[in-house]
Amino acid sequence: MRTRLLLTLATATLLGSAAVMSQQQPGARGSQRPGSPARVTFTETIAPILYANCVTCHRPGEAAPFPLISYEDVVKRADLIGDVTQSRYMPPWHAAPGFGEFVGERRLTDAQIASIAAWVAAGMPRGDASKMPKLPAFPADGWRLGQPDLILEMPVAFDLPASGPDVFRNFVIPTKLAEDKWVRAVEYRPSARKVVHHAIFAAVPAGQFAKRDGADGRPGFGGMSSAGVVNSGGDSRGLGGWAVGAQPMALPNGVALRLPKNADFLLQLHFHLSGKPESEKSQIGIFFTDTPPQKNLFTVELPALFGVGAGIDIAPGQKGYTIKDSFTLPGDISIFSAMAHAHYLAKEMKAIATLPDGSTKPLIWISDWDFNWQDSYVYKKPIALPKGTRIDSTLVYDNSADNPRNPISPPRRALWGEESFDEMGTVGFGFEVLNDADVPLFQQALGARNKGAIQAGGKDGTIGRFITRQQRQNRGLQQLTVYDRQGTVVSRVGEPGSYAQATFSPDGARLAVIKRDLDTDAQDVWTFDVSTGKGKAITSDAEPDTAPVWSPDGRSIAYVSIRSNTHGIYRRLADGSGGEERLYEHSSGAPIILTDWSADGRYLCFWSGDAMFVLPLAGDRKVIALGPQEFFGRGGRLSPDSRLLAFNSNDSGRFQIYVRPVAATLDSSATPSASARSQVSTDGGIGGIVWRKDGQELFYLSQPPAQTMMVVKVTTSPAFQSSPPERLFEIPGPIGAPAQLSNIISPDGQRFVFAVSLPAKPPR
Amino acid sequence: MRFRRAAACSVLGVILACLGLGAQTARLTPVRALDGRDVRPFEPSGAANVLFFVATDCPISNSYVPEIQRVCRDYGARGVSCILIYEDVDTPSSGSRLDDLVTTHLRDYRYENITAIVDRTRRVAKEAGATITPQAVVIDRAKDVRYRGRIDNFYAALGKPRQQVTERDLRNALDAVLAGTPVPKRDTQALGCYIVDPSVVRK
Repeated sequence: MRTRLLLTLATATLLGSAAVMSQQQPGARGSQRPGSPARVTFTETIAPILYANCVTCHRPGEAAPFPLISYEDVVKRADLIGDVTQSRYMPPWHAAPGFGEFVGERRLTDAQIASIAAWVAAGMPRGDASKMPKLPAFPADGWRLGQPDLILEMPVAFDLPASGPDVFRNFVIPTKLAEDKWVRAVEYRPSARKVVHHAIFAAVPAGQFAKRDGADGRPGFGGMSSAGVVNSGGDSRGLGGWAVGAQPMALPNGVALRLPKNADFLLQLHFHLSGKPESEKSQIGIFFTDTPPQKNLFTVELPALFGVGAGIDIAPGQKGYTIKDSFTLPGDISIFSAMAHAHYLAKEMKAIATLPDGSTKPLIWISDWDFNWQDSYVYKKPIALPKGTRIDSTLVYDNSADNPRNPISPPRRALWGEESFDEMGTVGFGFEVLNDADVPLFQQALGARNKGAIQAGGKDGTIGRFITRQQRQNRGLQQLTVYDRQGTVVSRVGEPGSYAQATFSPDGARLAVIKRDLDTDAQDVWTFDVSTGKGKAITSDAEPDTAPVWSPDGRSIAYVSIRSNTHGIYRRLADGSGGEERLYEHSSGAPIILTDWSADGRYLCFWSGDAMFVLPLAGDRKVIALGPQEFFGRGGRLSPDSRLLAFNSNDSGRFQIYVRPVAATLDSSATPSASARSQVSTDGGIGGIVWRKDGQELFYLSQPPAQTMMVVKVTTSPAFQSSPPERLFEIPGPIGAPAQLSNIISPDGQRFVFAVSLPAKPPR
Repeated sequence: MRFRRAAACSVLGVILACLGLGAQTARLTPVRALDGRDVRPFEPSGAANVLFFVATDCPISNSYVPEIQRVCRDYGARGVSCILIYEDVDTPSSGSRLDDLVTTHLRDYRYENITAIVDRTRRVAKEAGATITPQAVVIDRAKDVRYRGRIDNFYAALGKPRQQVTERDLRNALDAVLAGTPVPKRDTQALGCYIVDPSVVRK
């Protein structure tokens, strides 16, 4: 349309400026040019096209933003309608022609699109009012398929903000069914029609998502979970979906889906925000049948399990990344439906069947994948495929900045996962096995495909990563909480979130902490003002950052960042200004944990494996290895005079806290004698080692499960001596291993900070 | 329509007729705002005016309401005044008078203390060279048009919202005007609904 407009205009400009200027006046386009097609009018040509293809949604009360019913409705948007039909953005239909014929195709013919363009060009004549077609009869409000056997409703409404990126939210609704049921239809009714864009339904085992449900203080939980494809043990069952414009449809005769007794109904909603706050409380009507499915029904996904074993790993900037999969039929089948799924980076997905005789049948081609339009595609006529047919699928992704749908800017490496910034993808088919004798062959072949996918996903780390993230999400959110020496809460700092490794600044006024962004999973260093709770991101890099430590003057923060699988130590100003300085790269590839910055500012202390290291900040920054035999241990922290190192070690068979001289080692290559080590803890110590600023107390954490904050009085001159440990207070709940190595205690020894887990389900 | 204008400019070279950026705008007589006050959109009393061309029933225009409000809040303190110019078409099926429609829209979308004009005749749109809703036009103290185009690049195309805004063209323009430096991109393509001459529906 736009290209054509320019050509038309170029011709017009040759005729003189008057003609051009008249083109700028939309109202002045009444004259027909010679040679244009037969007269098209609204009543005879355009209204029938709109009534057959558009008004299902474009009428009052439906999801579309404006009606397209009257002449006035349409004529004021004529240019826009011309553009969006030409580009085929509207009506929305993403299966390319020639690859399967589907029920309910929302697709205009080329001739219809040309008619609209011709009508616009002709000045949008109304035509003979008596020729106006009747508006199709639409069912009255209420359930379209009759009275459902079971009506489910979201227990509480979900509030949506006015603007921002699309929102994905999963809601858990218990069915409380006393017995297994067969489902013949699911009808979905959103309450906020302008913002609910699509819905996906699944039955999941009761309580499977109980921990995540409401964990962030709002109904439901985030993520584009495909109903737990990996961790559900195969008990999750898809129950279809709904998208804007879709009409509720009962399953074909003889087809039914099992809804197990007491299952939870999982409703995943995708929202487009509208510009004003909205609130959604959906209803779902479920229609049962007494008749179990009469056919041998199966589904196959290419690749299996949404590609968990496909090794999806898309480099930033990469275009045309492709995955392929094949399935050869062990018997005759008839395909009745198709689906495709991926996240934002996918560009197209295609499946073609190659029959034993070498002929091919195109099955489906989503040529411009748009996550917003996840239709399920039911073939007008089932496609019969004989034994030995091979189905091939191809999925193509674009992780470049040129892909406007790329969720991360600048692009970041994308791996398989369920979050919006992860990728996955598959083309799936619902089919009937035609010969009963072939059923075991299909069960075996499809089972082997799933098993193979899980094995591959386990081998390349995909499943491990997925489970780690699930566990983290199940842990819920934390609140940075400050305690006094009696274990009484003094203050709460900042908002609830995902925090780790909180560490006090040298003046005790600020915290440095690793904060994980709940939407992007980015793991960055933040600082928080202890008194105001105000937080600020200090790093915002794509790679995960860990283990922040403050410089003794409080002006800089050093931290570990993992770049290209290499752990390194970096430094930035603590106010977030300026750039980043790389101090050290740990060439062995092993993880390192930074634990201290000496009070004289000269050394950083870190640990890897069970060896401790000191990095001098002056000179050539050549790392000094402490040990290993004398300093076998972890979590090293230098005394205020930098002459002693406190650390923990389990070389006695149990983790204990030790102190030993270190000054000689730092200043020369001399090694102190092995006998110099003093044990501080008596009943085990796991970390949390902090020297009071004046060097007169040393703190540590006792061993789990009941971790207690311990303190010993120390003298460091002439030789190190410590009093028996005293208990201060039991710490609130578990803290992860890296947290034990942070500077969790204020320099005056009066304040203690922990990221305290909030209850998984806050009271409503 | 925007393309027509652009092509006409380049082919014919009638730059003045195209209201080229930077050209002195014609002095408009005051325009009656919704609240009855007379306002002069092209004569800022402060550092600059931002004219937001919007429509009550354009979904892209509506999706920008929160950003419009943020821009007005962020730059209001720095001497920038915002004016909403509604470009709705009165149709028999709209069922109410335009003023009522706009008043309801302002309330539903929680606008506070903002000047709104119902541009029935398209006089303001024509003067500003606006053809799309939503579209922003920045007028500086010298009454020069310093920016005309999209608010930001959230929409890559109709139906293709980005996951992240990467170009905040309007804010960049305002920053430059306030700093007294050249506007980096003075003319960008707005995406949304066409501004239609009201006579088209009365035929």
